[in-house]
Amino acid sequence: MSTPPLLSIRGLSKIYGEVPVVDRVNLEVTPGEIVMVIGPSGAGKSTLLRCVNRIETPSEGEILLEGVNMAGETRNGKFVADPPTVTARKRRRVGMVFQRFNLFAHLTALDNVAIGPRRVLGMKAVDARALAMEQLARVRLSDHMMKRPAQLSGGQQQRVAIARAMAMRPVLILFDEPTSALDPELVGEVLEVIRTLAEDGMTMLVVTHEMQFAREVGTRVLFMDSGRVLEDAPPQKFFSAPHHTRAKEFLRRIHAM
Amino acid sequence: MGDFDWGAIWYGVPYMLQGALVTLEISICAMIVASVVGLVMGLISASDLRVLKVFIRAYVYFVRGTPALVQIFLVYFALPRIGFEFSAFWSGVVALAFNSAGFIAEIVRAGLQSIDAGQSEAALSIGMTNRQSIMFILLPQSLRRMTPPLTNEVITLVKSSSLLSVISITELTRTAQLIIAERFVPFELYAALAVYYLVIISVLSWCSEYLEKRMA
Repeated sequence: MSTPPLLSIRGLSKIYGEVPVVDRVNLEVTPGEIVMVIGPSGAGKSTLLRCVNRIETPSEGEILLEGVNMAGETRNGKFVADPPTVTARKRRRVGMVFQRFNLFAHLTALDNVAIGPRRVLGMKAVDARALAMEQLARVRLSDHMMKRPAQLSGGQQQRVAIARAMAMRPVLILFDEPTSALDPELVGEVLEVIRTLAEDGMTMLVVTHEMQFAREVGTRVLFMDSGRVLEDAPPQKFFSAPHHTRAKEFLRRIHAM
Repeated sequence: MGDFDWGAIWYGVPYMLQGALVTLEISICAMIVASVVGLVMGLISASDLRVLKVFIRAYVYFVRGTPALVQIFLVYFALPRIGFEFSAFWSGVVALAFNSAGFIAEIVRAGLQSIDAGQSEAALSIGMTNRQSIMFILLPQSLRRMTPPLTNEVITLVKSSSLLSVISITELTRTAQLIIAERFVPFELYAALAVYYLVIISVLSWCSEYLEKRMA
């Protein structure tokens, strides 16, 4: 490998009670890769994403972002877990876009984007606003900056959420089914924005059910089922000739719809 | 009703207004202390400060599990024994605040926890600490939801202040009792007393409704 990995996931498991929702997953992502994570519901796709930025605490395994362990550090051969403030600092490097947008309900679109730079990065209010305006312009929402989330369509809300994540200048963005909660006619505008970010070289992990999109925009497809990564292949290869029987079944069911 | 003694009621007005003033003074002081202490305890309850949370749970457990009257006696008689000397007035303030803070802590905690988990997840995802998430995201959104239960708590506090008559604070209720002892007109004065409280509580309710509308 020529480029060092941006993200390394090694032996990652998340176990609820006795059930491994994510089961010994290994993954290396190099800068600029667009990894599409697909699979049936309950496969552990979202949990995998949520472990990467530690919204969920993994049960086993380790995650390195640019070589930095997201869970803690080893001092004199002993592993020391990060205190919450350090976890928060490490999380800044990873953006996340949620299925249900999760915009801050009491803030305007502009403040939703500006609050991170302002409160987390400690930027001056004017600078944070300027940055937020710039990010909202990128997702073509300059005309809606002063609206509250409730006044925006789902597609607009999700674009604000993307701007909010981008404003933190992350090195990696996690998309957790970004279009699954949208009315069909609003899916396109959100996928378009994600496509633009991909073209700009943003590294991302995208959990999606949009197969067309995965095939066109992804540089790599992970197929997950029962917590395991069953296939890891370039999109053309995966969609034309999947290896695993369960992947074949999944694609057949999707195409049957 | 022919022998209803209106004279006693008019006679009582200046004293009752004086008593109402004491009731308001005590209630306002207690409310301020209870709001600050209760808010801080509620915020800690929703945070990840484990040790402090245990203390607050114990505090709330005690406040909820004992009558306000007993708490008043404890503050009035027990605190001097361990070296805290308060006047009757300040004992009353401390006792009421002690009681109310426990309930306000619960209101604040419940209010914060009623906000959708996605909000704090989003806050964490942009690198906020738990504390920042509470202060900038959860608290502003829950203030409006907290207003009705907080109003109830303020009303309860004002009414509980009548219990302070037992530690010889001449607030509204004790004023009425003193006039009764002097003029032997229990029915008239207790009826008047009820009206005085109703007026105070009504004003409070209007203020709260106004606040709630302003926050909408």
